[in-house]
Amino acid sequence: MSKDLEQQFVTQFEAHQNIVHKICRMYTNNRDQHNDLFQEVTVQLWRAYPKFRGDAKFSTWMYRVALNTAITLYRKSKRQVTTQDFEGVSFKISAEEYDDTTERQLKLMYAAVKELNDIDKALVLLYLEDKDYREISQTLGISEVNARVKMNRIKGKLKKVLNP
Amino acid sequence: MDGLELLKKDWQQQEKELPHLSAKEIYPLLLKKSSSIVKWIFLISVIEFLFWTGVSIFFEYTDQNESFSSYGLEGWNLFLSVVYYGGILFFMVWFYLNYKRIKATDSAAVLMKNILKTRKTVRYYVWFNILFLSLGLIISSILITFQLPESEQIDITRMVIILTIVLVLVVGILLLFYRLIYGFLVRRLNKNYKELKRIED
Repeated sequence: MSKDLEQQFVTQFEAHQNIVHKICRMYTNNRDQHNDLFQEVTVQLWRAYPKFRGDAKFSTWMYRVALNTAITLYRKSKRQVTTQDFEGVSFKISAEEYDDTTERQLKLMYAAVKELNDIDKALVLLYLEDKDYREISQTLGISEVNARVKMNRIKGKLKKVLNP
Repeated sequence: MDGLELLKKDWQQQEKELPHLSAKEIYPLLLKKSSSIVKWIFLISVIEFLFWTGVSIFFEYTDQNESFSSYGLEGWNLFLSVVYYGGILFFMVWFYLNYKRIKATDSAAVLMKNILKTRKTVRYYVWFNILFLSLGLIISSILITFQLPESEQIDITRMVIILTIVLVLVVGILLLFYRLIYGFLVRRLNKNYKELKRIED
């Protein structure tokens, strides 16, 4: 692939890399796994890039490829360790901004999200990223109505975490 | 504030805490090899194609040709060859077309469906081989038996029963092997695909 294309990709990727980091955080439990998934997503994005026509936004295209990698293509590598540092590295809560109750609630919410299956996590992630149901449905390949119904069910489930 | 809204606020504030790779750090990542499930499915599928083609060619070119000629069954042999090589060609083209359809830029549901479809092509190829070898062996044995002089006639029923038992055992072992290997490889993919289908039902 040409140097120009490579440079163009790296520039766009660098600017939007937060998307990949956030998806890695949602689907992994520690730094090793995070880096491994980040690597795989980068390779998949780079492979798909020559066919990126620019008719969609780069970020929209990136969410799709990155999520597809996380929930479908990615095979966990053997070198990963099983240490759970979900509340530490993965989701660092800025404690100074919250009182104890808020912090406790956030920890409970993050832990509950962590327990969701891969598809529900994808829905939650896109919801947290403020994506509309049209984009959520197109990314996952389900109808808009069903995406909304499913998200409402997840919301209900998560609501119970704080008010059992 | 609602729990999920609280989470959303915190999630969106995390941006500044996320790691940031410079362009210099990104370039080497592009050179790394993928270890995606598609790559593994492709590699295993190619091995399966080679293995089963090898097994069938082995049967085709060892004693079979000689036996068929000596019993005057060259026509039957030609028929088997045409069906078999036609089958290989058909499955290889089908596999290639399905494989080419796998794109990380599709929606999750379409991507999963295409991967599973590609995987299924190879499974059908394996079944084609097993059926071809089994039926070929049974029918050929019956045809050969009919060509034998009366003094050398053997009990066809007994022969078919023995062959069937052997084949059932071989197929059973293969099924177990498949369940283990592919059950492990596509377990997560299957689970996620079923979940998406469930949302749509």
